[in-house]
Amino acid sequence: MLSTMPNIDTKLKLKISGLTRSARIMRAMTFYIPVIILVLLVLTAIFAPWLAPHDPIKVSLLERRLPPAFVEGGSMKYLLGTDSLGRDILSRAIYGARISLSVSLLVIAATAFVGTALGIAAGYLGGRTEAFLMRFTDISMAFPGLVLAMLLSVSIGPGFFTVVLALSILGWAPYARLIRGETLRLRNSDFVAQARINGASAWRIMLIHIFPNVINPLIIVMTMAVGFMILAEAALSYLGIGIPPPDPSWGSMVADGRGDIDRAWWISTFPGILIALVVLSGNFFGDWLRDKMDPRLRQL
Amino acid sequence: MTTKRDIVLQVEDLQTTFFTRAGEFKAVGGISFYVREGETFGLVGESACGKTVTGLSLLRLLPEPAGRIVGGKITLDGIDILKLSKKQMREVRGKRISMILQDPMTSLNPVYTVGDQIGESVRLHQGLRDDMVEDEVISALRLLRIPAPEQRLRDYPFQLSGGMRQRVVGSIAMSCRPRLLIADEPTTALDATIQAQYIALFKDIQKQTDVAIIFITHDFGVVANICDRVAVMYAGKIVETASTSTIFKRSKHPYTSALIRSVPRLDRKDDQLYSIEGQPPSLLNLPPGCRFAPRCPDVMDICLKEQPPVVEISEGHSVSCWKEKK
Repeated sequence: MLSTMPNIDTKLKLKISGLTRSARIMRAMTFYIPVIILVLLVLTAIFAPWLAPHDPIKVSLLERRLPPAFVEGGSMKYLLGTDSLGRDILSRAIYGARISLSVSLLVIAATAFVGTALGIAAGYLGGRTEAFLMRFTDISMAFPGLVLAMLLSVSIGPGFFTVVLALSILGWAPYARLIRGETLRLRNSDFVAQARINGASAWRIMLIHIFPNVINPLIIVMTMAVGFMILAEAALSYLGIGIPPPDPSWGSMVADGRGDIDRAWWISTFPGILIALVVLSGNFFGDWLRDKMDPRLRQL
Repeated sequence: MTTKRDIVLQVEDLQTTFFTRAGEFKAVGGISFYVREGETFGLVGESACGKTVTGLSLLRLLPEPAGRIVGGKITLDGIDILKLSKKQMREVRGKRISMILQDPMTSLNPVYTVGDQIGESVRLHQGLRDDMVEDEVISALRLLRIPAPEQRLRDYPFQLSGGMRQRVVGSIAMSCRPRLLIADEPTTALDATIQAQYIALFKDIQKQTDVAIIFITHDFGVVANICDRVAVMYAGKIVETASTSTIFKRSKHPYTSALIRSVPRLDRKDDQLYSIEGQPPSLLNLPPGCRFAPRCPDVMDICLKEQPPVVEISEGHSVSCWKEKK
């Protein structure tokens, strides 16, 4: 027995440091680059008025469709060029970060709250409450999201809060499902039984005993939703049922440049690149967090 | 035990049934017993004989909506527990009756410190200020002889060993000084030496606090160590109740005798361990007569037809068997 021990040891070591140098660098990159991008995004959103070189909604018809500084005919005044109304693309993109970030954070907060509350209630109370809540969730997931967004946009008018409302109504169901599943597991655990034995009420058990135990998966799903919500806001704005002009949203900026794609590619391209970068970073960071916090969710 | 102490808990004809799609499981089929102050009452039987369901029935914590108490009366210090409202019942739980579960590894909430979890019970039932809660928590930890309680109360469950966790669970149960403690196989998950320590500890706590204990177990060795009186359960019925010494020396029910014979012993040299032939009856489909009759070595005609009455053969020793009726 003893003679085999060092063998196991070396095997283990090999497994731990089994990654090649380049693979380890790659792994670190998929963490650091997304984090840096997300941090920059947050800072940009907060300090937008100081960072933006121009007023993002100021129209300058004499300076329409100016190319970016590094393209022939471009000037240092407009680093990323101007759009069809002569507005500075860089400044609009900087202010657009505010909209993207605030929409996605508000939506995530609202959906996570509603979904968690309903999920815990359904999972813990069971019976008819659960049947009703889960069918309600199914209906919500089956509802065509775009139709609802258009409906809201038409009925209460387009705007920041319409977008938040539409995405919130559409987004809570996955939380409810996840949290219900976690709650079902916890409901039958001994420590919940023990809490009941100690005389805790159903409210108390749900709030004090179950909720803290579902925070890990909750945070993971919330993080992974950041990219998705930014993309969803951009999509709505692109379709004209999101943030109304002249406020800059990356989605509406892409839409603005649609007609000029042959003569002024930069109008759509820069906000498009930003959306892709930020969404990817959000997803990479979410994946990393999931692997770090909850190996059980790895197969999701 | 010369002077008779007050009866803390009186259970009369308790019947608990689980209503499921497959039918009605009569998990507890009409059992009666009582427990006195400062006494340890053992509830012994094999798996699935209704021991735990009895314990949960006393707390009215059966898994709803399937499990229901369908008959009988439970009296705690003169109060009929089955007539209390849900809110009143919550006040009974943890304060007057508490329970220790089998597995200490899972019965503590992983996200709270030991102090928070003991404090929860104290806060729920005594409405104390925070600084006084901590005093109560420390005194509960002291009661279970947990070393350095001031430090331990800041520990999380994962930082403690199994034996220590079970002591913490005990501290929670004892934190409000309940009248009745239901211990559902609290030593099964512990190893033999820790088990012995734990039992000694509980004897000591009982001396200090006069708590009545219902000790649910399948282990006759544990029964001999801690219980004053014992009830043997089989398929949802109590077949024999007696003092511990009577059970070991003069048990009358064939099931009790068979159960005691199937405990391995070091002082005898047996080639093969005794075991009872057959299986307990399905609780869905109980035989009309004695539930043990199909496996009983002394079975008679009447055993298969009619349920045996409870016969008191001497003071405090009652048996439910046709053999004793004659």
